[in-house]
Amino acid sequence: MREAALKESANEVRRMRKWKLSQIIGFVILLLVTITMLSPVWFMVTTSLKTTKEMLVFPPTLIPKVFAWGNFSELFTNTDIKFGQQYRNSLIVSIFTVIGTIISSSFVAFGFARYQARSSSFLFMLVLSTLMLPYPAIMIPQFLLFMNLGLHDSLLPLILPSFFGSAYMIFLLKQFFSTLPDELYNAGRIDGCSEFRLYWNLTLPLAGPALATVAIFSFIWSWNDLLTPVLYLDSQENFTLPVGMAAMLSSKFRLAPWNLLMAASILSVLPIMLLFAVAQKRFVEGIVLTGIK
Amino acid sequence: MNKKWMSITVSLVLVFTLLATACSNKEKNSGGSTAKEGGKGEQVTITHYTIDSPDRTFVEKLIPDFEAKHPNIKVKVTKAPYEQFDSKLQSSIAAKNAPDVTSHWGYGGFMEYYNKEMLLDLTPYLDGFSGSDYNIPEDVMNIYKVDGKTYGIPLNSYVTVMLYNKDLFDKAGLSYPPTDYEDKSWTFDKMVEYAQKMTVDSKNLEEAQYGVDFGFGERDQRPQYFGAHVYSDDTWSNGGKPSEINLTKLEVVDAYKTIYGLIYDKKISPTPAFSQTVSGQYGDPFLSGKIGMSVVGSWSLAAAADFSFNVGVAAVPYNPNGDVRSVLYVDPLFVLKDSKHPKEAMEWIKYLITTEIQEKSIELSGGNPPVNQAAAEKYYNNFEGIEPKGIQQVFDGAYKYGFESYNHLISNYSQINELFINELAGVENGDKQVENVLPDIEKKLKDLLARVNK
Repeated sequence: MREAALKESANEVRRMRKWKLSQIIGFVILLLVTITMLSPVWFMVTTSLKTTKEMLVFPPTLIPKVFAWGNFSELFTNTDIKFGQQYRNSLIVSIFTVIGTIISSSFVAFGFARYQARSSSFLFMLVLSTLMLPYPAIMIPQFLLFMNLGLHDSLLPLILPSFFGSAYMIFLLKQFFSTLPDELYNAGRIDGCSEFRLYWNLTLPLAGPALATVAIFSFIWSWNDLLTPVLYLDSQENFTLPVGMAAMLSSKFRLAPWNLLMAASILSVLPIMLLFAVAQKRFVEGIVLTGIK
Repeated sequence: MNKKWMSITVSLVLVFTLLATACSNKEKNSGGSTAKEGGKGEQVTITHYTIDSPDRTFVEKLIPDFEAKHPNIKVKVTKAPYEQFDSKLQSSIAAKNAPDVTSHWGYGGFMEYYNKEMLLDLTPYLDGFSGSDYNIPEDVMNIYKVDGKTYGIPLNSYVTVMLYNKDLFDKAGLSYPPTDYEDKSWTFDKMVEYAQKMTVDSKNLEEAQYGVDFGFGERDQRPQYFGAHVYSDDTWSNGGKPSEINLTKLEVVDAYKTIYGLIYDKKISPTPAFSQTVSGQYGDPFLSGKIGMSVVGSWSLAAAADFSFNVGVAAVPYNPNGDVRSVLYVDPLFVLKDSKHPKEAMEWIKYLITTEIQEKSIELSGGNPPVNQAAAEKYYNNFEGIEPKGIQQVFDGAYKYGFESYNHLISNYSQINELFINELAGVENGDKQVENVLPDIEKKLKDLLARVNK
C-alpha cells in the first residue's frame, strides 16, 4: 500500500518535472518569438536616439554610443517640421472621426438589426456593396464635392464622411446588435421606452465591447490615413502626422533623417497604444462577440 | 447618467459645428489662381506646387522678396510628399484647381505631362526672353521645346557623377580616379580592375564590401553608356514615342550582360539584397561606407557632409563603344494649361532663374545645382571636403558627354519604368538570365506602347 503510494508520488514528481521541461521549452520559444517581434521596436527606439553620423554606421549599433535626446525636442523646435501642430491636427481629425463613426454607424446598424422592412436585407446588401468601392474610385468626385462646398484645405473633408456611416462599422455593429434578445426590447417597450430610448438607453450601454472595437478601428484608420489629407490639405498648418512624416522621406537629394523619423514614429504610436491599453479588454470581447477580426 | 450622455453628445456636436464653421471660413480659394480687386489694379495669386522636402520648399523663403518686387503678384506654395505628388496633381487638375507653376517632380516626366496636354505653350509669354540673358546654354533651353514651342524653363541641372569612398581607396592602396573627362586612361575596364581590388565578396555582412555600384540612369537608359540604344532614334523627335524597341539586338543584350555581370560574374557590385540590408529599401548603399565607387545622380553630393567617411567626386569612366557618359537631369518649371495667370507665373519663373536668386537657392536648398551658369561657381564651392575645381571639371565633362534622362523625354515613362523594374528584378536577384528576360520585356513593352500611345 505504502509502496504504491510512494510509486504514485514518484510518478507525480516525474510528471511535474516533465511538465516543467515542456514549460521551459515553451518559455524559450515564447521568448524567441517575443524578441523577434520586439526587435523592430528596439531598432525604432535606438535609432531615434542616434546622431546622424551613428545612424549611418553599418552594422548598426545596438545601443547608441551617445544618446541624442535632442532628436525629440528637435521635432518640436524645428520650424520646417512643425510636428506639434501636425500632432494636434491628427488628434482633432481622429477624435472627431471616432465620434462621427460611432454615432452614425451605430444608428444605422440599430435600424438594420431591430427593424424588419420588406427590403431591409436588400438595403443592407447595398450598404455592404459600398465596401467594394476602392477609395481611388471615389477620390475625384468626393474631391470635387468638397471643393464646391468650399471646404478644401480644411480638416473637414477628413472628418465629415465619418458622420455619414461606415459600411464596415455598420456591419460590425449590426452583428452585435442582432445578438441582443428581443425580450429586452419588449420589456423596454412595456416600460414606455420610445424607439430612440431603446437605442440610446438599452442598446448603446450594452454594446460597450462593439463600440470599443469601432472606436479603435476608426481611430487607427483615421490616424494612419495619408492619401486623403494629402489630397485635401494645401497649407502646412493643416497637415496631419502621416503627411508630415512622409515629407521627411520625400527628398531624394539628401539623407532621410531616420533618427527624427523614428522619434516621430514613437510619439505617433503613443495614442494608439494608450487607446488600446484602455480599451483592450472590451476590444478583445468585441472581436470575440462579433466574430470580426 | 442619461442626461450626462445627452449633454456630452450635445456639447460635442456644438463644438464640432463651431470647428466646422471656423475651418470653412478660411480663405476658400486656396488652390489655383485667384484674383481680387486691390486698391491699385488687380492683385493675383499664383500657386507653386512642389515636393514637401527642404530642398524644394525653400522657395517659400524667396516669396517676400519677390512679392515686394511684384506688388500685384502673390505666390502660394502647395506641397505633397514625393510618393503622393502625382495623385495630388491629377486630382487638382480634375477638380479645376490646378496649380500655376510646377515641375515633373513625381514619377511622371515632361513628355507624359506634354502628351496629357497638361502644359501651357509658353512661347507667347516669352516676349524678349532669351536663355542667354539668364546664362542658360542654348542646348539646355532646347530640352523642353517641342516643334519650336517652349513648354518648360530649366531651373536646376543635375548630372551623373562618380562618387568614391576615399577611405576604401586608401586602404586598397589605389590612386584616386580623375575628374577630367578627357583623361582616356580612366576606362570602364580600369574601373572594374579597381573595383576588384576593393571587393570583399563575403556572406558575412560585416566583412563584405563591393568595388562599384553602377547606377547609370534608369534601367532602360543604362545600355546607352555602352553605345547600345533600347529605343529607336525617332523617339527624340516625335514626342517621346519610340517606333522600335531594340531589346533583342546583340549590342543591347551584351550591354545588359556587362551591367549585371558586375554583380554575378565579376562579383564586384552589391546584390539588391545586400543593398537593402545595409541601406533599407530605397536607400543608397554607398552611404554605408561599404561601396568603393558609385555612379549616381549628383544629388547625392548634397549629403556629402553627412557621410561617415571621406568622399571624392570623379568622372564617369570612358567607354570606347559609347559617347554618352552622363545622364543629365534638367529640372524645368512648367506653367499648367489651366493657369489663369500665365504672365504672372512667367514672372515668378524668370525671378527664380536670375543669377542672384539661383545663388541664394544653392544655399537655401542645401546644394541644388543652378541652371544659370553664372551661379555655378558658387555651387562648386558648396561641398565641404571636395575640391571645387574637381567638381567643376566633372560637371563640365558631364555636360559635354551627357544625354538628357529618358524619364524626361519618353511618353508614359512611369509605366515603362515600372515594367523594366518588375521584369528585370529576376535578373538583378540572380534568378534569371538577361538573354531570357529581354525578349519578354520587348514583347510587353511593345504591347504597352501600342496601348498607351494610341
